[in-house]
Amino acid sequence: MTVAGDVRAFLAAARKELQIIRRYPLNYVGGLFWGALLPAVYVLMGQAYSGGSDPRAMRAFAERAGTTEFAGFVFIGYAMYMWLSSVLWGPGTSLRREQIQGSLEATMLTPVSRLILLFGPGMSAIPSMLFTFVVTFVTLWIMFGFVPPLGSLFPVVIIVLVAVPAMYAIGTLFAAGVLRYGEIGPVVQIVRGTFVLACGITFPVAMLPAWAQTGAAVLPPTYIVSDIRAAILQSVALPGLVGDLAVTIGLTALIAALAILLFGYLERSARRSGMLGRY
Amino acid sequence: MSGVTAHSNVAIEARALVKEFEKGRHTLWQRVRREPDRRTTFRAVDGIDLAVETGEIFGLLGPNGAGKTTTMRMISTLLEPTAGTIRVLGTDVAKEPRRVRAQLGAMLSGERSLYWKLTGRENLEYFAALYHVPPKDTKDRVERSLAAVTLSDRADDYVERYSTGMRQRLALARALLPDPPLILLDEPTVGLDPQASRDLRDRVRDLRAQGRTVLLTTHYMEEADQLCDRVAIIDHGKIVALDSPNALKRTIRAEEIVRLDIGIAGDGDGAAIVDRLSRAGTVARSERHNGTLSLTVHCASARELVPAAFDAAHAAGATVQHVEVVPVTLEDVFLSLTGRGLRE
Repeated sequence: MTVAGDVRAFLAAARKELQIIRRYPLNYVGGLFWGALLPAVYVLMGQAYSGGSDPRAMRAFAERAGTTEFAGFVFIGYAMYMWLSSVLWGPGTSLRREQIQGSLEATMLTPVSRLILLFGPGMSAIPSMLFTFVVTFVTLWIMFGFVPPLGSLFPVVIIVLVAVPAMYAIGTLFAAGVLRYGEIGPVVQIVRGTFVLACGITFPVAMLPAWAQTGAAVLPPTYIVSDIRAAILQSVALPGLVGDLAVTIGLTALIAALAILLFGYLERSARRSGMLGRY
Repeated sequence: MSGVTAHSNVAIEARALVKEFEKGRHTLWQRVRREPDRRTTFRAVDGIDLAVETGEIFGLLGPNGAGKTTTMRMISTLLEPTAGTIRVLGTDVAKEPRRVRAQLGAMLSGERSLYWKLTGRENLEYFAALYHVPPKDTKDRVERSLAAVTLSDRADDYVERYSTGMRQRLALARALLPDPPLILLDEPTVGLDPQASRDLRDRVRDLRAQGRTVLLTTHYMEEADQLCDRVAIIDHGKIVALDSPNALKRTIRAEEIVRLDIGIAGDGDGAAIVDRLSRAGTVARSERHNGTLSLTVHCASARELVPAAFDAAHAAGATVQHVEVVPVTLEDVFLSLTGRGLRE
């Protein structure tokens, strides 16, 4: 029972999920659709509403969003939306699938830390999300002629590195509920909808009423999507994003601690009620 | 396998073990309407004391719902007892569950507990990591576990292509991965054909030969009889008898068991037949169903009882339809202790 053993188990859990996903190759077709076509629909709709990118409309948009790069704004927001969906559904769905197929108990019989079982499978979504991001930016380039500046690559990589634990902390917070309550889909739907609305996924946060903007300020995705847009669309360098990144790290620590506490509590509750083996 | 180390003589010790579950529902709608909470408490395990000795195959035998699996799940740390203590290889299950899990291999939910879209080998490699098997030992440990259950030649097939028996064997191989001194098997042969069951039982005997302790649950009396060094018979959450299979069978004061089906005409209840046979033996079970009286009679000699049964039937205007003389089994022990059959 060593930390090294738990790290190996963590990687094995992610690898196992990837092996299973790879055996259903049609999953990647979904990545193409969600990454390319869906955001394009919204960009075209926005262009229609703005009279074919009328300069006055674009100025009004820039006042609220800080950029006139409308297509880039929507595509980055959608990439974030897909990532958010993936992390909100991923770990919970994985635990739920294990519960239904009967393998959850077998994993719970091993000496590995329970947190490995909670966090490990979610990591398998990272390659598919990277694939979706690539599809998103290639579509943005081919359909709308927008190429992210090369200089934005470094800050974006740093933002994503900070964002990964934040996003998975959010996902695992909800996944913990599977142990005790089984089905958490409806809660995830509500939370996902709230995040999309509050975090400025498809529109600038400035459009929200003041009280909702206050709420958005405690959600890590608000900072993550805002910083990625700032780096790519406004060429803001890393020093200009440090404040936001620090807030994101702080919120991540809080959410992760909450997820671990909740998981521990619900796991014990499930062991008392016998819910681990039921669904 | 070399990891079997000597502990004290007791591998598992459970004292005053109790597990209660809630029965009934109190839905959100009922709460909103402020309806009274009608949930009750159901005692699945009711004060079990148990000591499994090192190196033996110990069986928990009982009908479905008797509390066997609940007991097993508490020992394996999957369920928290309502009361009582459990020590596994000297470690308190409640205080150090991770340490307990590191020392035991368990096969609790059989074929469903595997990843069907992975190969047998991939399944074992994944679980080897979860059991913290050192990377340098993983390949060897996986190969040995596969060989122990004779699955080496199918190791690289997807589990979805395995038969039920092969999946059960793979689940057993997984339990062997940590090289555990103690193995828990919950209904290991359920759903298997006779050949696959025999095969799995042979594997379980191999485990004992390697010096491991095996605790298994079963509702198959033959399995308990053939495999186990000692058997605890469980009913309604309590142990009603505990001894070696032979000693348990000796508690039935009979040499042979006679099972009779007697066709009774009209409204007769067969009381006269039962009364007469009670003088020749012990009527352990008497059931009337669709005009047939089914009797199980413990006796010293079937040669004397069977003619008496024909005479009694004839005198009552009934007809003996079926006679079966069998040796005493654990089923009869259970019947004599509880008045019910194991499969009722």
